[in-house]
Formats: sequence, C-alpha cells, structure tokens
Amino acid sequence: MATDTRVLAAEFQYLEAHSTGEVLTWLAEYGTRAKILAGGTDLLVRMKTGQMKPEYVIYIKKVAGLDYIQADEAGLRIGAATSLMDVEGHAAVKTGYSALYEAIRSMAATAIRNMGTIAGNLVNASPAADTAPPLLVYDAVLQLELQDGVRWVPVDEFFLGPGKTCLAPEELLTEISIPPQDPGNGSSFLKLGRVAIDIAKINVAVSLQRSGRDCTSCRIAFGSVAPRPIRIQEAEAVLTGKRMSNELVEAAAQAGAAAIKPISDNRSTREYRLKVSRVILGEALRAAWQRAGGVL
Amino acid sequence: MESQWLKLRVNGKERQLFVRPNALLLNVLRDELGLMGAKYGCGLGECAACTVLVNGRNMLACLILAVTMEGAEITTVEGMGDYDRLHPLQQSFLDNGAVQCGFCTPGMLLTAQALLEKNPDPSEEEIRDYLRGNLCRCTGYAAIVQAVKEVKHPA
Amino acid sequence: MEFQVIGKILQRKDGVAKVCGQETYASDVVVPHMLYGVTLRSPYPHAQVLRVDTSAAEAMGAVCVTPDAPCIPNLIYNERTVSIPEKTYCDRRVLPLRARHVGEAIVGVAAETEELAFKAMQAVKVEYKVLPAVLDLDEAMAEGAQALYDNIYLGDQKLTVKNNVACERIITVGDPEAAFAGADYIAEQEYELPRVYHHQMETKTAVCRPDPNGGITVWATTQTIHNIRILLGRIYGLPLSKVNVKKLAIGGSFGSSIQMNSIIPICVALALKAKRPVKMASSREDDLHSHTKFPARIKLKIGVKKDGRVVAADMLAQVDIGAHQINAFPLLGCMAGWYASLYKWGDFRFEGRTIYTNKVPACAMQGYGNPQVNFAVESLMDLIATECGFDPIEFRLKNYVGIGDEFWGQGPSVKSIIKSCGVEEMLQKGAELIGWADRRPHEEKTGRYRRGIGVARGFHTSGTGGPKPGEVVDYSSATVKINEDGTVDVMTPVMDLGGGTGEAAVKVAAEVLNVPYDRVDLSLVDTKTTGYDVCTHATRGVYCGCGAVYHVARQVKQKLFEYAGRILEELPRDLELEYDAKKDVTIVYVRGFKQKNITIDEVARLAQIYSWGTIAATDSLRQKNCPPCFVAHFLEVEVDTWTGVVRVPRAVLLSDTGTPINPDMVAGQLIGSLSRGLGYALYEETEHDRETGRLKCNGFITDDKIPTTCEMPRLDDIQVYFAHTYEPTGPFGAKGIGEAALNSVASALNNSLYNAIGIRFYRIPITPERVLAALEGSGRDGN
Ligand SMILES: Cc1cc2nc3c(=O)[nH]c(=O)nc-3n(C[C@H](O)[C@H](O)[C@H](O)COP(=O)(O)OP(=O)(O)OC[C@H]3O[C@@H](n4cnc5c(N)ncnc54)[C@H](O)[C@@H]3O)c2cc1C
Ligand code: FES
Ligand code: FES
Repeated sequence: MATDTRVLAAEFQYLEAHSTGEVLTWLAEYGTRAKILAGGTDLLVRMKTGQMKPEYVIYIKKVAGLDYIQADEAGLRIGAATSLMDVEGHAAVKTGYSALYEAIRSMAATAIRNMGTIAGNLVNASPAADTAPPLLVYDAVLQLELQDGVRWVPVDEFFLGPGKTCLAPEELLTEISIPPQDPGNGSSFLKLGRVAIDIAKINVAVSLQRSGRDCTSCRIAFGSVAPRPIRIQEAEAVLTGKRMSNELVEAAAQAGAAAIKPISDNRSTREYRLKVSRVILGEALRAAWQRAGGVL
Repeated sequence: MESQWLKLRVNGKERQLFVRPNALLLNVLRDELGLMGAKYGCGLGECAACTVLVNGRNMLACLILAVTMEGAEITTVEGMGDYDRLHPLQQSFLDNGAVQCGFCTPGMLLTAQALLEKNPDPSEEEIRDYLRGNLCRCTGYAAIVQAVKEVKHPA
Repeated sequence: MEFQVIGKILQRKDGVAKVCGQETYASDVVVPHMLYGVTLRSPYPHAQVLRVDTSAAEAMGAVCVTPDAPCIPNLIYNERTVSIPEKTYCDRRVLPLRARHVGEAIVGVAAETEELAFKAMQAVKVEYKVLPAVLDLDEAMAEGAQALYDNIYLGDQKLTVKNNVACERIITVGDPEAAFAGADYIAEQEYELPRVYHHQMETKTAVCRPDPNGGITVWATTQTIHNIRILLGRIYGLPLSKVNVKKLAIGGSFGSSIQMNSIIPICVALALKAKRPVKMASSREDDLHSHTKFPARIKLKIGVKKDGRVVAADMLAQVDIGAHQINAFPLLGCMAGWYASLYKWGDFRFEGRTIYTNKVPACAMQGYGNPQVNFAVESLMDLIATECGFDPIEFRLKNYVGIGDEFWGQGPSVKSIIKSCGVEEMLQKGAELIGWADRRPHEEKTGRYRRGIGVARGFHTSGTGGPKPGEVVDYSSATVKINEDGTVDVMTPVMDLGGGTGEAAVKVAAEVLNVPYDRVDLSLVDTKTTGYDVCTHATRGVYCGCGAVYHVARQVKQKLFEYAGRILEELPRDLELEYDAKKDVTIVYVRGFKQKNITIDEVARLAQIYSWGTIAATDSLRQKNCPPCFVAHFLEVEVDTWTGVVRVPRAVLLSDTGTPINPDMVAGQLIGSLSRGLGYALYEETEHDRETGRLKCNGFITDDKIPTTCEMPRLDDIQVYFAHTYEPTGPFGAKGIGEAALNSVASALNNSLYNAIGIRFYRIPITPERVLAALEGSGRDGN
C-alpha cells in the first residue's frame, strides 16, 4: 500500500523542548517545516498515513509548566500539555463544566485520553473535534504565544476550516482558558457515533443561564455538520430571554436543525445528520436546563 | 536523522537503547527488547492491542515515539506476572474463560490493571467504559468484563 | 453420562502463555539473519502490469520479486485446496500480470529493516495500462461488460468466463413449480447482505527460511498447515519432505486463513531469491485489502399451506466474489445445503451464481454462506408466520429438518442422516427464558423507545465428512503416546483458532485413557511430525480433529492393555482402566477383580525398561457423518425511534453441540458470535467506492467499525443454554459449535426489530440511518 502503519517511515529531526521559550525559538526558526508533538494521537496518525511530513518534530510534553489545570474564581485554565484524562479527572471540571467533561469522556479509548490533549484536539481542527463544541459554548479563549508576543483568541475565531486554524506556524497554543460559570449555569454535551468508540457523526454542546423559569442566555454549538465546529446563533436566539418550556426547546431544536448544512461521508449521511441534530439538541437543552436547576 | 541514546525502565529494569527518532515504542519493545506481549493490530490507535503502561497509565505503543520515553517507566504484560507468579488479573482471565485467540489479551490486561489502580472496585459499566477502546473479535467481551469484575485482590 | 474430564471447566493449555504474553504467533516469529518483506499493491482496481522497474529499490539494497521474474512460477492455482482438484477453480498466480482489485499485491520487496523495505517499495516503478473496472454485480453480468478473465481453470480444464460469472450451481428437487401452484400462500422477498471484513486481531504474517537441504521452513498465519505445505510444494516444485510448515497460535481468523494467504508464496519467493529468511507481516491496510466475507443478494420464495406446512421454495443467490475465486464453487453447494436443511421444503430449487468484480476477494467467514442464507430464510419464515397468523415458534417446529431427516452438510454431495437434535428443546426453553408468552404485538408499542422480542434458529455442519468421498477432502490425523512416566503427549496438526480445540484434544485423550487433564499435554508440531489434517474449518475441529484423537487414543489404550496384560499375566480383553482420585493414579485392573491391578505409570516405566517399545499410535480418521449443531437465538431489541439507534438489552443463546467438551468455550463461542452477529446486523460494511474502486475505509479500521464492550448486553442479560443431546458418532457425544453460533444472530435481530417497530429489513447492516429512513417511510417514527 501507499502506507505502512506498522512503522513510521518518516525522516525528521526530533527536538525535545524543556521550556516554552525553547519551543518558540524553534517554531520561529522552522515555521511550517516543524510540527508540535503533544500526545501524538493525531500527529502520528497523519504522519503514518502520509498527510503530514514535518521535518522537525518538537515534543512539548516535557516542557515545564505546560501541564496544569487551575480552577478558581477566574475560571478554568488548562495548560497545553495536560492530558485529556487529567482534565476529565479534575473535580472542578466534573462539577462545573459538564459539557467539557462529557465531551472528553466520549472521546476515544482511555489510552488515547491518557496521551491526547485539548490543545492537540483544537489545533488538529477536525470539524468533529469533541472538545470544540463545549469550548465554543463556554466562550473559551486560547492563549497563542509567539517568540515575541502573545495573543488571546476566542475559540470561535480559531477554526477556519477542516484542519485549518488561525494559528500561525510560529505560534504555540499554550493555554485554554474558560471563564467562570455563574451559579445558574447548566451545560451538556451529546454525541452520536457508529459505536462507542468513534469520531462523532454529530455532536452538540449547550450552555445556558437560568434565572427562575427564564433562560437568560444560551450558547449552542454543533460539530460535524459544517467545515468547522460552529455556534448556532439562530437557535440561541430562540431561547435567550424567554420563559423555558418544552415547546420552546422544540422550537430551538428545530431552528438548530434548520441552520446547519451537513454533508455525507463515511460516518453518516447528510439526511441523518439533519434529522438527529434536532433530537440531540433538544436533549442537550433539557439536560443543561436541568443542571441549571430548572424543571420542564 | 540521527539515532540517539534513550534511557528508560522497562518492567522494572533499567535499559539503555540507541534508537532513531522515528522508531515506535511498539517496535522497540518487540524488536530491540524481544518483548512480544504488546501486539500490532492497527497502528492507528484504534484497537489497543499495543497497550503498555507508561508511568502506570495505559497508552498505545503504536503511536508513541520511543525517544519521548526518556526516563519513563514502562510496563508490558511480561512485567505483570510470570507463569509461576501470575498477577491476579491474569489468573482471573484464565478462571473466567476470557482468553480465546489471546491476541487482545495483553492489551486488555494492562488496560484493566490501569483501571484497577484508579478504581479498585469498578462497576460493570465502569469496566465496559474503560475497556471500550480495546477491541476483541473473539470473546464478545463478556468473559473479559467478568474477569475484571471478579478479580481477587491480593490480601 | 459421567465423564472424568469431558465437560469440566479446566484451564486452557495455552492460557498461561497467552496471559503472560509468551505465546508465539506468526507475527512474533524471529529467525536469525532475517530480512523484512513488504508488498507493492495496485492503486487501480483493474490494470495490466506493463513494466516493473526495481532498479532504484535494488540500489537501496532491497531484494525484489516481480510478476515477470523467472523465479515466479507460471502456475495458475487456487490458494484454497480443500476441494478435490477436479472441483477447484483456479485463477491466481503468485504475482499477477494483471491487477484485479485495488490493493492486489504486485511486487514483493525485502530489505534489512521493515522501514527500509517500505521505502524501497516506494522506489519501485510500475507502469500500468489501466482497464475499465467492474464494480457492480449487475454491470458485471451485463452483455458487453469488461471481463476480468478470459480463461480460468477447473482442475486442469481450461474454461472460458462468460459475463464474469465465476461459477454457478442449479439444483432442483421435485417439482417446485407444481408445488407452488398448490400452495395457499406464497411469500417472496429479496435480501441484501454486505461485504464485511473478518477483522481478526492478528494481521496475516509469513516467515520463510530457506534450508540448507534446498527446502524451506515456513511459519505462517493459517488454519491449515498441511494444505499450505502441499500447495507451496506444488508451486515451487519442492518435494514435500523438504517443506515444513510449523503449527503456531493464531490471533483470530474467522475463515480468513482457510486459504493460503496470498503473502505466503510471495514471502517464499523473496526468501528463495535472497537466500535468507524473510518475514512478511501485513499492515492492517494490507490485510483489509486481502480478504472479506462473501456478500450476497438472495431472492427467496416460499409457499405454505393453510395448516402451516411449507411445501415449496425457490432461492436465487448471487454472490459478488471480487477479483478471485477462493471458495466460490463449494460456497454455492453449501448455500444450497444450508437452505435445503433448514426446513422440509418439499419441492424446491436453488440457483446460485458467483460473479467476478474488481473488488477485494471474498472468502469464507464464520458460517460460510450460512448467515446469509439464514437471514433470508429466517426473516421470510417470520414474515410468513405474521402474515398467516402462525405462531413463529410453532411454525418452525412444524417444519424444521430434525432427527431422522437427511442433512445436506455441504450441499448435494455431502449428506447424512441426523442422529441428534435439540431444536425443540431449545425453542421451548428459549421461549421460556425470554418471556415469549408476554410478547406484545408491535401495534401496541408507542413512544420514543420501543422494545421487541424475536427468534431465529439455525445450525451448521460439524465437518464435511460423509459415507462416501465427496467434493471436499475431510480427514484428520493424530498421534498419541504414553510417556515413560505415564504422562501423555498429544500431537495434532489441527489448528486451534482460539476456540479451545487444543483443550478438547487433550480432554478426549485424557478421557479415553482415564488420565487427569494435567498429565496430558499438547506437543509443538509441524507438517513433518504429523499426519495430514485438512483444515480447521467447517466447524470440524472437535468432531473431526478430536474424533481422530479419540480414534488413536483408543488404539493406544489397546496397546496399554497388551503391555499391562503381559505384566499381570492376563488377557488384554479382560482389563479395564480407572482413575483413582484418592490416590491420584490411573490403574489397569482385571475386570471383576480390582485388587489385581497396576498403575499406568508402572506399565509405561516397565515397557521402557523391558525394551517393549513406546505405548503410542498414529492414525487418521475420516468421519462418516456431518451432524448439524443446532442453535437458536432469542433477542430483545430496543429502538430509539428518534435517532434510529438499536440496542440489544437482552439475549438468550441456545446451542445443541452434543456433549459440550469445553462448556466455558462453547459459551465463549456463543457470546463471541453474538458480538460478531450484532456487528454484521447493525454496523459492518466494507464497501468499495463505486467510482474509484477503492475501499471506502482505505484499509483503515478507523472507518470499519466493529462492536466494542459497550454494544453488548450486560453480563446478567446474556443467558446461555445447552440442549441435552448426545451425538452417537462424535467423540464422547460431541458435535461442533464454532460457526453455528453466528448463523441466526442477524436474523433474530431482524425479527425482533419487527416486533418492536413493525418494520422488516431486507438489507443489513441495519444502521441508524436506515432505521430512521424506514420509520419515516412507514409513518411509524416516534415524532
Ligand atoms: C483512535 C483514535 C480515536 C480518536 N477519537 C477521537 C474522538 O472521539 N474525538 C475527538 O475529538 N478526537 C478523537 N481523536 C483525535 C485525537 O485523539 C484528539 O484530537 C486529541 O485530542 C489530539 O491531541 P494530541 O495531544 O494527541 O495531539 P497531537 O497529535 O500531538 O497534535 C495534533 C495537532 O496539533 C498540533 N499541536 C498540538 N499541540 C499544540 C500546541 N500546543 N500548539 C500548537 N500546535 C499544537 C500538532 O502539531 C498536530 O498538528 C482520536 C484519535 C485516535 C487515534
Ligand atoms: S496497534 Fe496500537 S492501537 Fe492498534
Ligand atoms: S481473544 Fe481473540 S481478539 Fe480477544
């Protein structure tokens, strides 16, 4: 075959970084010829299948100070080299960021989650990336560092298309930060795959704010229905500032389904994605509302 | 692309190896160290036949560059137990008929061990969920889940 | 019947090695000084190979073999050699001059490392003349379609291929047309079964070492060491005494290694050319381009009388076999046999046709046409029961082929009379366990989640034996010897595919000789140290393979009595064997006078000291029957009518395997088959792109999913039941189980879906996409 997944028949120079500065220097020097290696669960797959041929591979899991989770009043901050499993296992994530927790738990094998990172999931920029919808609905911000500067980009502006982000070749994603969630917040994530281990046929995240029986604000994001994970403002608008009801959930779910333009691929069909988008969005909304303390 | 020295511990023994940066941990374990317990099943992270423990965590050796393992502690199925001193999980797999062709067995055992480290008394759902990335085409998983559930912890 | 070891749950003999990572599979074999081989595979579904330039690869130090190289014999063969030569269709060469599917191996390349071999392979230049590809069964058969072959061979006879029809078989019993005319109700439907991948966990591997005597030693992934030996001898003109194939563990197979995997002869060619050992381990993507299960399109018509008797049937089966015939002709015979042996059709007809297309070759996969046929028959029987108001269980009991009836083990040429049958017991017990009496019709079910219960039954043959030699070869050999301390060695060439055939062999020898299980062991063997065995296929491991062990162990027992008789000064025919559990010894004693006895250990020890010889025997056995092992599946499904997702909350699996020699392994076969059956029914489809001819998954299992731990019912929700039967012709009453366990899973699932949502499916996999579409079409969706 054109591939041999038994080996990694690639030529590259291996660079093991111990500090962020080191990574940034190399990135500045090698630009597009270099690739960051975190968990490797996307990068090595792409190198084995010939989709990526970096000349330099910069390993960042040994960088001091990139592996952390900090949860406080300022919100949640996750270092780029932190494994998915550690994020999933963090008490604050489980209790305060249900959509992110559920998204990570839905991903891959435990072994992959022991290796992979959120940063890798985002930079890989699959339209089906499971951590993207939750981060979109939480208004997460990504910290992108250059050798001589740093910028903060909202996740919503990060994705450009399949495999494409606004990350410059010289930039390193160093931190994912999520604003604190107010007490009346509830969030959820749902995904449909072919079997229990799969990239999503479709996934959805919801985060909403409850005040009494009203939904004061709402964020909805879908994955695997467009060239990139997307917010669905049409559906959000249906709920924002309204008294919550089953009919309203249904209307929002309809609006969500009407707003997407999925395609058919190996995992599912356009028609199916359209049909079930309504179902899983409705369910995700109900779950989030309940978590926010609401009843329907 | 130059080979470089790599120092790590495998099954409790310190090892020094001279490896190329593109060498996969799976192939280094099998070809350099003769540890054939970890198996190639897909090379893409989809089957977990190549599972090893890295510092106690289950990971997939087919997607790991050996050079990144400097200083790591690796456990393969050979390090779990021996024929005259089986690990309780190994014994439980035998007692519960969890082994058919046996090709998935090393990966299953190591993944289960990692689970039990975190959660010594998992429910059936927790076992199924933790093992869901380990494919087995022979058993239908029931005997494997049973074996993990019924493992007798050393007193 | 009380047995000493048969039917007891005992640790498998290879168990410790397997849990310790010490078992040797072909992929673990390392031979000093070996090279690593890879294959260059065709990117086109159909193309003439015009020129191959290996100079760049050779400059990198690689050894290459190409289709036009003199070292590649011109022999056209079939890589499966289970059928007799006159019934074997041949269309394959070690390396083809024309590529007939994407991923067909064209060039072999070996080098010092696998990585170097792969890089050298990439440096090989192949010039192709691309030909139109045939990627659809109907287009393949149409007039004027591009031909895959001009000629093929049946045995030595040259055949012309017309309309890409690889082979066909038409069988008529009685006068079906007249019988249909007399029927009160006729049902007719067409069923579509997909091409799926075996997905065995170990990819195909071959290691070949050229030996100084001019011969070769081969370690390979296979279900038959002897057939590989014979075929390699034939291809490379080597005397069989110089070809040795080693028996190893195999990491799953499910039928994909009945034939000699196509990399094996390529590996041999490389080793002979390099004069060094070569190891060729397939990548998963190589493997996925090498074998798939036979897909099928089955049109079935059944006629019944008002009283619930079936009186006529007609089946048209078309099978898209892909680029090569592996076992297409015997498949048609078997499909006819599976169909003929399910119910007493009265007058019936079978028409089967296999068609070449430019796809990955299809071959046997657990059931060999049986799951396909069963899906059609059991789905249609269920439909008839509904339409005519028969109880599905009663209807089956009224018509099934059972004790005293003729069973077509492998089609019209292999028949025997059924002597043991647990169908009635299983259907009744299964109904009780699943709660059949409380089953409600689908019309009463509403809401988002709907549950349903369904049943299907099936069987498989145990081996392909019969009173007369048929179209397929079937016999086994064994050697059993009592060692000088009274322990026992069993030498069997029969491959254990993981199902416990090895333990069964040990148990049979232990039972015959009344020796404890732990004093009997399996020997490491190869083709030079064992007699012939055809293959571990056709669910014949226990019935035929262990049948031979039984046959030989009894000869050994005779010899033991002779020697014991000499010592005790008694006639051998007056002696008996018994295991004394208290003393943990096996004794030979004089019938009616137990005090006069000697331990088996002592006999063995004295036989050596007195130089009488080893108490051993070697022989072969052909079984004269092929008893069906019956199964029944009762499944409960739950359909999410909003997403189309189907779950199986409960399963009752019943088998009639005669005496279950390894009860835990029989259960393992049933539950393992449940997962493969659910995969077949709900998830799996390994199809080709209609434009490019490439596999949609590109050979990566990322897009070829099989069930995980989470798709299976919970432990408490799977019930396994063994019917109480005894097969008089099997070793200690045993029949097979392996393939049978799968055959009615998908059909039971389909029938339970009907009970849940009132929709019958005619095509699998029944994916959520198809469920939702069907629900919408029927207006029965939950919205
Ligand atoms: C079998 C399997 C199953 C999977 N299942 C899922 C699933 O269910 N859902 C899902 O969403 N994904 C899934 N994935 C994809 C993958 O595991 C995730 O995307 C994972 O989060 C990637 O993280 P990583 O650390 O391994 O990334 P890597 O492979 O290390 O990197 C991925 C990409 O990001 C770049 N990169 C990584 N970190 C940084 C950084 N800090 N700054 C700049 N660039 C960076 C790399 O250069 C590379 O291009 C699966 C993968 C496999 C192999
Ligand atoms: S071989 Fe590593 S996951 Fe399959
Ligand atoms: S025992 Fe064969 S794959 Fe699990």
